Amino acid sequence: MNNIPLEKSRLVSEPADPWGVYTEASANREKIWSKNRTFLGDVWFRFRTKPTAILGLILVLLVVLFSLAGPSFVTHTYKEQNLKYANIPPSLRTVEKDGRYFYISPALQVVEVSAKGELLGALSKKSADNANKRTTFDAGDGQLVTVDYSSKPYTLLNDEGNRIESFHGLHNRTYLLGSDALGRDMLARLMYGARISLIVAVIAALTNLVIGVLYGSISAYAGGMVDSVMMRIVDIINTLPLTLYVILLSMVIEGKGMLSITVALGTVYWVNMARVVRGEILSLKERDFVLAARTIGSSTGTILIRHLIPNAMGPILVTLTMLIPSAVFMEAFLSFIGLGLAAPLASLGTMCSDALATLRTAPYQLFEPALVICILMFGFNFVGDGLRDALDPKLKK
Amino acid sequence: MGRYIAKRIGMSVVTLFVLICLTFAMMHAIPGGPFTSDRNVTEAVQQALNEKYHLNDPVIVQFGNYIKDLLHGDLGMSYQYQGKSVNDFIVDGFPVSGKLGLVTTIFVLLASIPMGIVAALKNGRWQDMLVMVIATLGVTIPSFVIATMLMYLFSYKLGWLPTFGISSWKSFILPMVAMGGYSLAFLARLMRSSLLEVMGQDYIRTARSKGISEFKTITRHALRNALIPVITVLGPTIANLVTGSFVIESIFAMPGLGVHYVTSINNRDYSTIMGVTIFYATFLIAIVFIVDLFYCLIDPRIRYE
Repeated sequence: MNNIPLEKSRLVSEPADPWGVYTEASANREKIWSKNRTFLGDVWFRFRTKPTAILGLILVLLVVLFSLAGPSFVTHTYKEQNLKYANIPPSLRTVEKDGRYFYISPALQVVEVSAKGELLGALSKKSADNANKRTTFDAGDGQLVTVDYSSKPYTLLNDEGNRIESFHGLHNRTYLLGSDALGRDMLARLMYGARISLIVAVIAALTNLVIGVLYGSISAYAGGMVDSVMMRIVDIINTLPLTLYVILLSMVIEGKGMLSITVALGTVYWVNMARVVRGEILSLKERDFVLAARTIGSSTGTILIRHLIPNAMGPILVTLTMLIPSAVFMEAFLSFIGLGLAAPLASLGTMCSDALATLRTAPYQLFEPALVICILMFGFNFVGDGLRDALDPKLKK
Repeated sequence: MGRYIAKRIGMSVVTLFVLICLTFAMMHAIPGGPFTSDRNVTEAVQQALNEKYHLNDPVIVQFGNYIKDLLHGDLGMSYQYQGKSVNDFIVDGFPVSGKLGLVTTIFVLLASIPMGIVAALKNGRWQDMLVMVIATLGVTIPSFVIATMLMYLFSYKLGWLPTFGISSWKSFILPMVAMGGYSLAFLARLMRSSLLEVMGQDYIRTARSKGISEFKTITRHALRNALIPVITVLGPTIANLVTGSFVIESIFAMPGLGVHYVTSINNRDYSTIMGVTIFYATFLIAIVFIVDLFYCLIDPRIRYE
């Protein structure tokens, strides 16, 4: 009884005479005062209360933005090679000599760097003294610099022939995240690779979605013999080692482009989706609105597409968001074992795989794509968890 | 129970047959034969090779022959290595892969179940947070990334562990951690959520109200029930650990079956790919079957399904 005054104050303005007749009450009494939320609004309301879900969404959006808008902010392209500048790390340890800065790479190449960190050019070798572990390079204008690699760290010799022991740390301005083994800009390649990985994953997930939803809904709606045969097939596919089949499929489909890997990933992982959809539709098809639709003469296709599938959208969406990270993962995995894309195309997986060869001298080449993969996986997993809680609170574990 | 076993055996045989058909069909759908490589082989030599390996027969006949050989346990000859059969590869490689898989399985079980129990019992405290952070990391970071990071840190930087080969027991540590990461995280999460659920059940309250010690309540009443979902996923997990090692093996250069598999993929050695796939799949199906039987023995409710 306590909340009646509160309700009244919201519904009608207090009349002057508390014992008088309400004037506008009859018009407003039936009105619903809480905000009318749509399905999506409701989901968003529950989704945003979870900090990890919001964090995941932000991470995913950042990577998407990075891969789509990023390339217009970098000067290099993903396939532009510059062998002079191979394996230059993002932060350079340079040696100063006569006001000029030189970076000595682990492969004993000398690159001149400006004081700001821009690469000015690689020096050409003049003569080598293998016995004393010294190499002389031509620094232009008739000047010579000598690299001493008898002990680590490699350094230059000053005019008296002594090692220069002071180093200057500079940030690489030409290649912000360093360059790879062929002298390509890591940043541009990361953007491009993230884009390819995302495209492959999203298309593969959508293909799985279509196959899974159609298969599951037909199986559930048809019922009887059709259902049991279709579900037996699903049981069989479920016991097959799918990783092996993705590998075989991507070999069967010709070409080393995006198509083969997308098709391979897109046609194998729909089993889970089919099961989820079937479970949902089995219970939905007994409901009265389906009966109503059937009595007004809707065809089976209309009932499936207009009535049943939209009502099963929640679990479908959750399964879809969980499919995308596993597709990113599988794509990286396949590219890593050499079944993915061929050069100059790059994906995060191929970048990791390429970096293995130079892991010892240029570990940043592995860490950068690995970090992007991890961010993507984190993001999608968190979004998926959040969506599951938001769409179907009953499913929460 | 007998009926259940019979049904499961029937299912496994059908699955295996489908799998052999699929693999065979796929290997034959690949454009070009095994000898149409860029090596300059004359027409006559190619014909002779095709004749030798019966590649000119109709596909059905080839399939029949293949099945017949399979039933005799013969997986065929390698097309790339003269005089080596697929069985040789398996005999060479599988002991290493199997050992790695076994070690990893033991590691995963010994680490994940206690982790899950601690997290559930200390729900909401720092121990729980720590376990959940590890579990999230394990699920989200791909195994090859974990492997290379570990290798960089422990082998190159610190020099504690060997980078490749199987020289001593130390060689198994890094592959084990890298390969088990995902399963460890997954099982720890599952153990945690299932124990949390069980701890809220009425029979736990009953046990406590009877005055049974907390330790006994947990070990006798809670854990036994909480382990059931974990055992359910154990079959596929073990199978994946034993068979899913190709990337890890090739990163750490372990002479296992996985390496042969990746090499044969890169060499387009079709008979080896086919044979190893079928071997892997048979093994996987067998393990899932055994774990399921074991599971039936533990939980009688499954039998009457």
